[in-house]
Amino acid sequence: MSEKSENYIDESSSPRIVEAPRYGCTLSGAYEAAVGLNEGVPILHSGSGCGMSQLFGANYGGAQNAPGDYGGSSTPCSCLVEEHVIFGGEDKLRKLIDSTIKISTGEFFTVISGCVPSLIGDDVDAVVNEFRDKAPIIHVNAPGFKGNSFEGYELFFEALVDQYLKPSDKKEKKLINILGIVPFQHIFWKGELRAIKELLEKLDIEANVIFGEFDTVEKIQKIPSAAYNIVLSPWIGHRAARKLEKEFDTPYISFPGIPTGPIQTTKFLRKLAEILPINKRKLEDLIKEGERRAYRTIEYAGDILQFDVPNVYFGVVADSNTAVSITRYLTDEVGQLPDIVIITDNPPEEYKEGIINAITSSEEIQFTPDIIFEIDSFKINQLLKDRPFLNLYASSLESVIKGELETTHVTVSFPSYNRLVLGDNYVGYDGGLNLIQDLFYDKAGPL
Amino acid sequence: MAKNELDSEDYIVELDKVTCPTREQRANGTNVYFGKASELLDDAKKGNLKCTERGFQQSGGCILNFYLSVRVSTIRDAAIIFNGPVGCSHAALGYKELYGAIPEALGKPTNYKLNWLTTNLGEDDVVFGAKDKLIEAIKEAEDRYSPKAIFILTTCVTGIIGEDIESAVNEIQPDVKATIVPIHCEGVRSKIMQTGYDAFWHGVLKYLVKKPKKKQKDLVNIASMLSYAWQDRIEIERLLGKLGLRVNFIPEFASVEDFEQLSEAAVTAPICPTYTDYLSRGLHQHFGVPFFMYPSPIGINNTDEWLREIAKYTGKEEEVEELIKEEHKKYVPKLKEIKDKFKAIEDKRGSKIDVLGSLGQGRLVTQLPYFDELGVKSSSAMAQDFDNILIDELEDVIDKVGDFNVMVNTFQAAEQLHITEQTKPDMALTCPFQGGAWKREGSVSRLHSLRGDPRKWSTQAGYAGAVAYGNFLLQALKNESLQRLSKENTGVSVKKWYLDQPDPLYFAEKGK
Repeated sequence: MSEKSENYIDESSSPRIVEAPRYGCTLSGAYEAAVGLNEGVPILHSGSGCGMSQLFGANYGGAQNAPGDYGGSSTPCSCLVEEHVIFGGEDKLRKLIDSTIKISTGEFFTVISGCVPSLIGDDVDAVVNEFRDKAPIIHVNAPGFKGNSFEGYELFFEALVDQYLKPSDKKEKKLINILGIVPFQHIFWKGELRAIKELLEKLDIEANVIFGEFDTVEKIQKIPSAAYNIVLSPWIGHRAARKLEKEFDTPYISFPGIPTGPIQTTKFLRKLAEILPINKRKLEDLIKEGERRAYRTIEYAGDILQFDVPNVYFGVVADSNTAVSITRYLTDEVGQLPDIVIITDNPPEEYKEGIINAITSSEEIQFTPDIIFEIDSFKINQLLKDRPFLNLYASSLESVIKGELETTHVTVSFPSYNRLVLGDNYVGYDGGLNLIQDLFYDKAGPL
Repeated sequence: MAKNELDSEDYIVELDKVTCPTREQRANGTNVYFGKASELLDDAKKGNLKCTERGFQQSGGCILNFYLSVRVSTIRDAAIIFNGPVGCSHAALGYKELYGAIPEALGKPTNYKLNWLTTNLGEDDVVFGAKDKLIEAIKEAEDRYSPKAIFILTTCVTGIIGEDIESAVNEIQPDVKATIVPIHCEGVRSKIMQTGYDAFWHGVLKYLVKKPKKKQKDLVNIASMLSYAWQDRIEIERLLGKLGLRVNFIPEFASVEDFEQLSEAAVTAPICPTYTDYLSRGLHQHFGVPFFMYPSPIGINNTDEWLREIAKYTGKEEEVEELIKEEHKKYVPKLKEIKDKFKAIEDKRGSKIDVLGSLGQGRLVTQLPYFDELGVKSSSAMAQDFDNILIDELEDVIDKVGDFNVMVNTFQAAEQLHITEQTKPDMALTCPFQGGAWKREGSVSRLHSLRGDPRKWSTQAGYAGAVAYGNFLLQALKNESLQRLSKENTGVSVKKWYLDQPDPLYFAEKGK
């Protein structure tokens, strides 16, 4: 911890040599989006390993999930080798797209170009254009050397806007799109998106969450008719939102993370009520009921919270979305003390101040945690040593060193190799309760 | 029949070269084939195997990912540098935990660490080259981990932009204590992933193996632990230990010293011949270490023969007969119990249990005789690749168990689904990377395990493994609810017309 004045250290302005950064490449992010669609088929124009390695990195790293029928070893791939490097891979890709559409039961096709076609200069757009009338298909130019998974997520939406979506005749007042949660890369994506959708359904607002939903093509086509784009990240999805604003005049509003616990949830709902036609009576009823239940329920954890870990210091190692939501919940609602927050998703420089503000604007405490932007796992391990925290909310990479640090450990961020997540999430009034349950999952303190 | 140093000279390992040739070049390798095993054998003998293009192809992994990086990652007191964009190392995120799960109580080395870096190549590096970055990474690895060896794994990008890895290594090596080992595993180098094995062994033979100071008559080199199951390693150590022999296991969990002393061993024994081939030949040709290639210690008979081969080179001929007798007393009755249970199921169903095996080419020649011992049959088998390395061995297997269908592909899910739907085996054995539940009516189990699996039920090698895996297969016949319900409720990923037409290689370009 430090005094309010010195609040963060930036070590990642120039990521060069790194150990175990917690994301994949641009192709990976586009793949995660493509396969995060129900019945979405990624078609990789790349070397043969680019799909298979997503299994270990994106899918298993994304909370031990199998990628389903169209990902991992099932991913159609042009499997480029030296002869294609010399003669070009366009013909191979043409045959691959044609056969994939013929053979696959999938609904939406995303051609993703990796490093190799970019280096050899294949005209992939031209090849993909030949198939526009045969199936819903887009091309994402996502060579791995361009950037990380989050870049791939933005490029997926940009491709969707440029190549597939059409402006809608009228906006639906009660329809919003949800952006900023990257499938697999945000390990709770399935549960978070569903929980957000269900929360808003109670206020008669339809959240088009796109990923993990059935009727994929229909959901995608609805994107331009939304009244608003809601971004649940301090930086991810912002480019997509700006693009949608430019092309379809859809305004957007952003929140630094998913709303966790009563304070964040109520604030989130009230903010939405300012811009959406939400019935005030319904809103107040929902808030009242949600808060009452959450605060009554946390009392059941009262003994273990107050006597096992009273005013405990905690550490966080997570992507910015997760870090903000969790840190603020524990600080603002559970009386815990943030010691160190390490942000691992390499946000661009211009967003860092906003992330720091979101973490430090708690009025409950008179100090700020150390906030460090770091992507290198070796350095992260060093940073966690000799600190006062007793609870660590991190990725599973830190679970290996938890004995060394004498800390309890909850896997809340990518990668998660020790926690299978199918529907768990920390969204809404009950979201904080779920987090506290996970903290005490395999231990009970000395009461 | 054991292939050994007598035919070592049919391929010469040239260590003055930067790397190995591809499997296509040196062994006529393919990963596109469907037909009778006898036809495959015939085509291989005539040199007719071709690695043709597929019009529909699925991502089967590349030379770097995943066969190679996962194995290199386990080497102790070493560091790895993935010289490429961040995505090429993405898969390595999980290795620390996968292998960390093995308890030290089971003999995992306490100083096991997994150190890796990526050079994180970006657009500038692609345009201007990244030699400096590689050198920086080598220095960084030295500073952080003080490793004894630093492995550099090359990628598609470094290959295509023409990075001169060797010159960077030569420049920095004098300033670095660790031995730097460049491995040329650019994904675009070869359609056959097994080329990655050879590329790795080339680096090991060229840079790490030392001239023998003394010969260690009781030391047996064993490369690969089958599918990385920790219990296989324990079983093999147990058996060879009873003969008074020590095992030099590489590369999984080996130390750099274990690599250095490969030249001092009495023999190099195979667990997977396709994996070990290049190393065995190289060690023989350059350091005089004898080797044999077949069989692997899978099933009772093969384990007997495997131990006898090792005994020949270590002077343990008498001891081994004693050991075999003793082991048979304990394990043969247990295997018979399993066989009886399969027989009971057979009687009830009216036919032998038919297993579709998803095998590597190494397992193709060892697993089928083992199935024969269990009293199950495999009328079709899948192999990831096939090349000249195993011609004699395949002939031997066909002689033993009769002809069968072979489908050669590397993780082609659609083709694998096709053969399963067409042949309707009682049980399909898979690699664990199907994307979810294998949706079918009938049993499914796994043949390979992904992680450093320390559980006894996952043993496959030796006598204990013959019994454990027999029971594993029996279990698979007892409940089919997951795959059946998945199929009923969500269907399969390919359309019916493809599954209904007879040719799994419908999209392959034949004869090119």
